[in-house]
Amino acid sequence: MRDEQAREARIINRLNVRETRSSRAVVSIVVAALLLVAALWLALELVLSTTLNAPVFMNPAELAQRLASLGTQALPGALVAVGVAAALLGIFLLAMAVLPGTKARQAIANNRSAVVVDNAVLAAALSRTARTAARLAPEQVTTSVSRKRIDVSVHPSSGRAVDTEHIRESVAREVTFYGLRKPLTVGVTTSTAVAS
Amino acid sequence: MNGTHRGLNRALLGVLGMVLVAAGAITILAGTNPAFARRWTTAGADVWAGVQDSLAAAKIPGADISWWSVGVLAALVIVAVLLVCWIASQGTGRSNQLASQDNDTGKTTVDTAVAAHAIKAALTDNTHVLAASVQSWNNKSWNNKSRKNTGAVANSGLKISIQTRKGASPVEVMAAVDHLVEGLDQLLGFRLPVLVRIKAGTRTLFARTERVA
Repeated sequence: MRDEQAREARIINRLNVRETRSSRAVVSIVVAALLLVAALWLALELVLSTTLNAPVFMNPAELAQRLASLGTQALPGALVAVGVAAALLGIFLLAMAVLPGTKARQAIANNRSAVVVDNAVLAAALSRTARTAARLAPEQVTTSVSRKRIDVSVHPSSGRAVDTEHIRESVAREVTFYGLRKPLTVGVTTSTAVAS
Repeated sequence: MNGTHRGLNRALLGVLGMVLVAAGAITILAGTNPAFARRWTTAGADVWAGVQDSLAAAKIPGADISWWSVGVLAALVIVAVLLVCWIASQGTGRSNQLASQDNDTGKTTVDTAVAAHAIKAALTDNTHVLAASVQSWNNKSWNNKSRKNTGAVANSGLKISIQTRKGASPVEVMAAVDHLVEGLDQLLGFRLPVLVRIKAGTRTLFARTERVA
């Protein structure tokens, strides 16, 4: 029975990680498609040159010779430019491979299922909590949820005092009640609007 | 949720990235250092001469084609096929069956639509929920050994996506879904891996805001 629970916990963890991180599918498809075009072009040129037909761009022998003497034939400036472009593209792909690619979602602790909530949903719910605590209209509170922080900004009508600490406490209590797997720190800022 | 090989994606992108960085570094070096550029050309000329020798040495009898050309063509075709496989592996593993059971009397399968209908029907009256959708996916690594005694083979996982009304508490939505999952567990007789996604969508933008706390 304990084995079964540990197994379920592992599955839930894995589902949470997969759902909150990018699969890199789009980058993979683009890179694979470009490589595919290059491979098919080379194959086509090879067939054309062995059957003594005119090449589409350049026959393989000419391509190989040009590559072999590229160091002295090309302009140094062009070489540097192409090299920098290739290196930047390589760094981008390496970053795609190594960085976690966190999405704007949070995992909620649950014993049975892996539960993942959009940051936008959390922000809307916390805006509601903040405005009930401060007795404000819906448009007067905006909340943004980022990877580590929750920022509540309150715009009370001029002449009305708002208890920032009270709002912060209510929002923090609500967040604790949600049971996010990665705790977020809550910040409240106030700016007075000239208004109604 | 699907069976995309994420480790494979990242490994291949990483290898290609390293190749590009190395090629870029060599090209920059050739552009800034004339001595290195000259060595590139001499080395390139040597290699190309070697390649031409091997091409001439392995002529196919009666034709002006070398075996090497045929080999390179075959290698290119294999690479192209592997690349197509890589593209095709993205987003695989969807299924439309929750569980199936094979025994002497026959085969029984439970379609995902059963769970989908039940969950959607149960959530229509929930004011927090604007829309619900249910999918399932295959994954062989989640085969449960303790289920062998019932004979059920359930390699599927269930994904429940919920679009909430703006301002709805995610915990309340989660409690409602938990209740449904519990019912499903009892109905099926075992526990499927379940993923619940609570999200905002286009309907969230246009629907009325949740007013009651």
